[in-house]
Amino acid sequence: MNDKLLYLLFFLMPYCGWAQTREMTANEQARFQKSLQQLVEIKTVSADFVQYKHLSFMKKPVESTGKLYVKHPDKLSWAYTAPFQYKMVFKDNKIYIDDQGKKQTITIGNSKQFEKISTLISSSLRGGKYDEKEFAVSYLKQGNADMVRLIPKLAGAKKYIKEIVLLFSPTDKHVEEVKLVEPSNDYTRFVIKNRKVNTTIDESIFNL
Amino acid sequence: MNRFLTCSFFLLLFFASCGTYRYPNASGIRESTAQELNNYYIDTTQTFVYRAKLHAFKKDMNGSLMIKTLGRNEHRIALVSDFGQTLFDVSLSPDGYELHYAMHDLNKRRVVREIVHIFRTMTAQRHATSAVMFANQQHYYPVYVLDDCYYVIKERKVERIQQAKGAKEYLAIVYQEWNAEDIPTSIAIEHKKYPITIDLALDVNQSIL
Repeated sequence: MNDKLLYLLFFLMPYCGWAQTREMTANEQARFQKSLQQLVEIKTVSADFVQYKHLSFMKKPVESTGKLYVKHPDKLSWAYTAPFQYKMVFKDNKIYIDDQGKKQTITIGNSKQFEKISTLISSSLRGGKYDEKEFAVSYLKQGNADMVRLIPKLAGAKKYIKEIVLLFSPTDKHVEEVKLVEPSNDYTRFVIKNRKVNTTIDESIFNL
Repeated sequence: MNRFLTCSFFLLLFFASCGTYRYPNASGIRESTAQELNNYYIDTTQTFVYRAKLHAFKKDMNGSLMIKTLGRNEHRIALVSDFGQTLFDVSLSPDGYELHYAMHDLNKRRVVREIVHIFRTMTAQRHATSAVMFANQQHYYPVYVLDDCYYVIKERKVERIQQAKGAKEYLAIVYQEWNAEDIPTSIAIEHKKYPITIDLALDVNQSIL
């Protein structure tokens, strides 16, 4: 019986391997950081995203989709297209919101949380460095993919976020998944698809 | 004379603040056969996801409200912002509640108590044995009374719950539309004491019905 169990485990091992996460070796970390430097050349990114909100008591996540545009140095458009329409534009230290025609402007000074999220998204997509004063940074491997785990150090951020996990594509080294874990362990996963780099983004995208 | 006036003023204030709510056009309360009220959230196989638009204290917030029935008058309710941040996650039971999580800014006893109160009123199934009498009975829909809540019935469904505290209306929950299975697809909640309104629209694709 024990032999059968061992055989079963042996044959299942390769299928479980992809999900295993481990620390990067020093060489892997050096290679990964070098690959990030290439991303610094990125001036614009446009992509689709799918957002999955996971709650422990829900059988399936709540799903929404949208489009995002990043223009270096400081413009980000984050727009939900389904199942609802809602657009946020981060520029000039302000957040412009269009909620199905109802528009409002928030000064980022009043919403530090949004500012951090916007900076993190923009810099991650462009391979920016992680602020080690704000986060404890771990460099990990999940199968062939590189992964960065950021754990907030500051008390203010810890109230809202337990950790942020960024998963990079094994092929082109771009960010393809962002996971925001809350103190309750519920989390939101953003999957980035159809990424286009350094294409012209019409300025009207950032006007609301 | 001055002492008399002061006493009268305080007595008037006392009686005014201790007044009881009177349902509009009601002529009294009568006993009725036991009436089951608010059967919308009793199926434990269902999970409801509502698109939520919240306006509270001059601030707007959009998100999703999740309601899962766990047992008889036991519900797990969570509100999540559009960006995916959990604002609160609470289990309601007939005897109390368990707060699983509340965002730091909302995690205040009074706020949580009010959240629990609103959603308990919205989801709880109840049984009434009293109803409001109207002078002209043919003119009005049946209104059942239980404690401080008035349940307006239209086409055998609860159309509205009005709750009173003291002499004033405190909370109004209006079920505006239903689907073919009598599940509320549009709900408007208005807090009468605090400037809070919540509009809910059922997201059929994300719900498990």
